[in-house]
Amino acid sequence: MLKLKKEFADFYKEIKIDKETNALKEKREILEEDIKSKLPTILKNHNISIARSDIRMIDQGSYKYGTTISDDVVDRDVAVMIPLDISISSDPRKIKGYLRDSINIPARTVLIKEPCVRASYYDNGEEWLHIDLPLYSQSGTSVHLARGKEFSSDYSWESADPDGLNDYLCGQINGNDQLRRIICFIKKWRNVKYEGATSDHEVPPSIGLTLLACDCFSAQSTDEGDNDLLALQKTMKGMLDRFTYTVDENGDLVKTISRDLPVTPYTDVFKKMKDSSIAHMTTFYNRLSKAVENLTNAVNVESAHDAGEYVQKVLGSTFSVPAKEAVAATAQNRREHSFG
Amino acid sequence: MQQQLRIDENTALVDDMNAREILESYEEITVGEQLLDDVLFFNLFEKTFLLFSPDKSDPSSMAAVYLYNDELLDFPHIMLREERIAEGKEMPSGTYRYVCLFEQESIVNTLVPYEDKIIDCIDRLIELLSMNSSEQTREFQKEFMFYWNSESKSNRKYVAYIEHETQFTEMDAFYGENKVRLIERCISLSDIDDRNKAERKWVHHIENEVFYIPITDSRGILPPHKGFSWSADCVKNIVFGKRIEHIDDDTYSQIKTIIPKTQDLILVFGMKTEQSNVTFALKVRCNNHKGHTLLNKLLSDITAVEPLSTERKDYLFLCEQIGNDIGLMHKRVLLIGAGSLGSYVAFEMVKNGIQRLKIYDNDKLVEENILRWAFGGFGIGLNKAATLQFLLNMLHPEIKVEACAEKITEKSLTNEISNTDIIIFTIGSSDEQLKLNAALKRAHCSIPVIFVWLEEGGEYSHILVANYQKPGCFECLYTNDQGAYVNNRARKNTEIASEKGVIRNGCGGTRAAYGTAILLRTTAALLDVIRNIQGEKITKNTLIDISSDRIDISDTVFPMEACNCCGNSVQ
Repeated sequence: MLKLKKEFADFYKEIKIDKETNALKEKREILEEDIKSKLPTILKNHNISIARSDIRMIDQGSYKYGTTISDDVVDRDVAVMIPLDISISSDPRKIKGYLRDSINIPARTVLIKEPCVRASYYDNGEEWLHIDLPLYSQSGTSVHLARGKEFSSDYSWESADPDGLNDYLCGQINGNDQLRRIICFIKKWRNVKYEGATSDHEVPPSIGLTLLACDCFSAQSTDEGDNDLLALQKTMKGMLDRFTYTVDENGDLVKTISRDLPVTPYTDVFKKMKDSSIAHMTTFYNRLSKAVENLTNAVNVESAHDAGEYVQKVLGSTFSVPAKEAVAATAQNRREHSFG
Repeated sequence: MQQQLRIDENTALVDDMNAREILESYEEITVGEQLLDDVLFFNLFEKTFLLFSPDKSDPSSMAAVYLYNDELLDFPHIMLREERIAEGKEMPSGTYRYVCLFEQESIVNTLVPYEDKIIDCIDRLIELLSMNSSEQTREFQKEFMFYWNSESKSNRKYVAYIEHETQFTEMDAFYGENKVRLIERCISLSDIDDRNKAERKWVHHIENEVFYIPITDSRGILPPHKGFSWSADCVKNIVFGKRIEHIDDDTYSQIKTIIPKTQDLILVFGMKTEQSNVTFALKVRCNNHKGHTLLNKLLSDITAVEPLSTERKDYLFLCEQIGNDIGLMHKRVLLIGAGSLGSYVAFEMVKNGIQRLKIYDNDKLVEENILRWAFGGFGIGLNKAATLQFLLNMLHPEIKVEACAEKITEKSLTNEISNTDIIIFTIGSSDEQLKLNAALKRAHCSIPVIFVWLEEGGEYSHILVANYQKPGCFECLYTNDQGAYVNNRARKNTEIASEKGVIRNGCGGTRAAYGTAILLRTTAALLDVIRNIQGEKITKNTLIDISSDRIDISDTVFPMEACNCCGNSVQ
């Protein structure tokens, strides 16, 4: 019997989100309708002419790739692409402001963030959903992402290829169920280990983990089915091995990892994390290293119970540890360990 | 934990330990007051428990644990209601809540040493209290109906009859004296119009519309328990979950469309998990906002929800409970012959998932035969088919048995083919069987036909599966390789044995003497054959021999190419 096969299957069932809930879908559709109905008018007031039918919504992120996991706050990514001449509309902050204005109603809280406009939804004072809307301009075959916060001096139209990124990741993940599960497990590990994080930049981004997982994925199966424990251990070990030594400004050796986007603009997805503080990289390395150590122990120990305890250290308490193997006469005698 | 100690230091270590010593060997446990030799308090995870050790003089006894003076702890398997012991009794005063750690009959206690029983009990308690939230949810869901029905304040029981458990559907409510039947509209119950003298036993009520909502994702759906009552939010979370979708798209689309006509509603939820299949109903009181869809009503109009004590009693559910082949439920079976074998076969078929049965027999039950008729003395002097119909329909109101108190003819048999999925012959007369076999062949019957018959003496019986599109029929058994008629070649009895098994009762009338054992084993074999036909394990025409020591594919040559009935058409 494959070690922890059932526990991994149960864990995946517990954390996976197969599709949008109707509650989310309804919010998203209303939001998209608001953008399509109001944005052209707002833009027109600023001498930018687009038709409703020119606005294109692009499904992005984990919902697109089927790697969403349950979390306290639902995180949805939908790109908004509009035809725009950025040589004329050179300030992306203004265009993001128009997008914000098109959706800014009391039912949602809207914020301009560096890479997107975020619409957040609250229930009894607690945020339960945010929909991130990266804004892209399109002119011919040239696509650019609007970057920069509303009042930041650091802003740009960054060359981008959202469709290409979707194609790349869907090509990697679709039809590979074990990879999809492994990505979910790694994201769950990240959520558990960074539960107390106070800023986004200290947390390894989902896109980074997803790309690394795709790069380092090691499919593992036997006649008894997929061995997710071994696949997870090998994939995370592969990710760990991607870290390299670099020298910081003090001349100290630090571990860092880079992963460029596979499409335009081919930038490093961990750049913000590194720029924020090199210590974040060290933490990332140490936590990943500890996870690999625990998973390696889980692979090597004979007892499923002990292996489960190691895995629980990685994936959190949602992962069930199987009961200790029968050693007493009682345990041998009982048909199954279940409560009355 | 204790088990680690045992592994490390040999199992002999725990021999002859008393309860205190065993508890003290757990590092998580602090032992408290000892009331009797093996009855003592202990603290674990900041809670106080009372251990009742097994009775040493009774090997079948087991250890039991009570949670002491804690009315708030919210955990699966810790009973909701507490026993309160007053001052001045033998036990310390306070409240005691039983912790249910063992499934009934899951352990042969007699085989387990006294010390191991305590260790097992404590290990289970530790495991229970160490469960993560998803494990707790699973355990709560396993006992969902216990918690749900404990919460019901209604003095009526709500009994659900559902056939399409994965589909949203409207239901009807029929009120009886102590029960309310909630019935999916496609189900018709044979006793729904029964009367008690002049009064109807079940009265259709329309003041609350009833909707069945299947839950497809049960994550996080808990029954009411200590400190957690069901509210409108629980209903909203199911029909319009924010993080997890609990219903399928079809259900969502229907509840978004339907406009209920009544102010208050009854909702029946169905939820299948790996370890449970639960159906629970609740009354939903609402503000009266006319024109709201069911979804809007549930999202914005609910003022109160009231759990209703619920049980599911439909034929599908009862079949699932005992592992019947659900695929048989909609098969229409024609049973020809309601004699001793037919009575057993009919009775067992409806208990094994065959809901729709039509029985032909023109014979009347006579007193001499009551010991080998499945229902004993009931129906003496009455038509056998009609008696079976009456008795079998009483088993469950969804069972539909039809009786024809006449001898089936070739014409009527041919007419029945189009309304039937399986034909079973349980008649003794070879002449009749040969005649009807030929009629089926002529009609190009395309459904499975099963001939079942007994030999005299109670030792041998046979089952023949015939598909008239393939080689082999009943007449093959009465045909030699030259195409001449011979007596049934499948017979195992010698002539002498046969003669011994015959009872003559005047005017040439004879009865074969056999007990009921042959009826039981033949019926059991037939049930397997039906399952195997359904499961496509039997795909060709097959002759099976049954005796007291084996059931086997017959060594009789079959089919017979020279058969006058099927042979010429067989290639």
